[in-house]
Amino acid sequence: MKFDGWSRDHDHRDGVPSLKGEGIMPKCKKSEGQAIDYASKLLPPAEEEPFEEHLKNCEDCTEAVASYTAVLELTNKAQEELVVPELALQNIEMNVYKRLAATQEQTLFSRIRAYFTNVGSPFGWYKTAAVSSVAIALIVTVLLIGNPFQPEMPLQLSEAQSADARIEQYRQQGIQRNLEEALITHHLRNDAWETESQLHRMKEQAQGTNWTKVADKHLQNLQSGNSTLQ
Amino acid sequence: MDKLIDDELLVAQFQAGRQNAFDELMKRYKSKIFSYLLRSVRNYEDAEDITIEVFFKAYRALEGWQPKAKFSTWLYKIASNLAIDYHRAKARRPVYALDDTEIPETHLVATDLHSDPEKQLEEKERGILIREAVDQLSPKQKAVFMLSRYEGLQLKEVAETLDMAEGTVKIHLHRAVKRLQTLLRPLWENNEI
Repeated sequence: MKFDGWSRDHDHRDGVPSLKGEGIMPKCKKSEGQAIDYASKLLPPAEEEPFEEHLKNCEDCTEAVASYTAVLELTNKAQEELVVPELALQNIEMNVYKRLAATQEQTLFSRIRAYFTNVGSPFGWYKTAAVSSVAIALIVTVLLIGNPFQPEMPLQLSEAQSADARIEQYRQQGIQRNLEEALITHHLRNDAWETESQLHRMKEQAQGTNWTKVADKHLQNLQSGNSTLQ
Repeated sequence: MDKLIDDELLVAQFQAGRQNAFDELMKRYKSKIFSYLLRSVRNYEDAEDITIEVFFKAYRALEGWQPKAKFSTWLYKIASNLAIDYHRAKARRPVYALDDTEIPETHLVATDLHSDPEKQLEEKERGILIREAVDQLSPKQKAVFMLSRYEGLQLKEVAETLDMAEGTVKIHLHRAVKRLQTLLRPLWENNEI
């Protein structure tokens, strides 16, 4: 990396390292706050031009700006090197919905457990009888006249149902993505071993769907040396 | 979906029952939040888990969310709080210090025929030293520095994210830059970075 913020040779002080920035040499008051803001591009526009004028005549501030700019460039570059793996990002949505679905299941389970714990209390049987009567009345109503809530309420998925639907949606997308990757591996890299393992992964992920047949077909073609994987 | 749709409009759509709007919000922010958390916790698995937790919490709270601040600022606030919890929990456990050994060397993979593995290794080591310097900032200085410098948040947004006054944010930022200058300058002068 090239920048002129600091000198490695200390040539600007006849071999003596500059101690500016470390609080020892007397400095211009603007060489801290304003110089940092200027280097960070955070100086208000109205202050920018006067500070640039000031820089023309102030060695302290010129040096401070160069030094802070160097710090910021170095730290920026180091952080850019941290790469977020694409693979980790692919599953975020599905895992969020899985987390939501798991919480819903837990909540439902806790309610049922709390309910049955409550049944043990002196008033539990009254409650059970009351809830059972309401449930039976609702079932009978639905059987006789259809769902009484249907006409008034638009179809809206509950959080749990919605989470399940989303999980399925992302699972389907994952299956398709794995299939595409397997085909890319086959056609572009001609790597039969990797293609086969990708197809097996896809088949495993696709259990219970018709995609397993697609995977089987591709695996058969691959094993018979047929290059017409599509 | 049109990328120009405001986050806040997507939130309103989600609140009206349109699930796809939340998917779009996740798509927009998952990479940013993951990067932010990766810089903070310095471990891929933990960053992934916390990213999932951020969106999980956002989903649960979004129904009653009022647009007092930008949606992205709110999301960073959740992420920042979870990162603080993570560091607190980690500090209580007797585990090894955060370091770059937890981060796979993905960027060391030769990307073209002209790449020089030795130079890449040097770059990696230099990156480690610089990131260690950033880790030596106080938690508040580090949080302000990261949100402002790496996430590109305005000072006002950083203030909202971290529940600080804007003036306090600026003070932390100044101290962070000065501290980094003190830490990095000797390394630079000794040709270590």
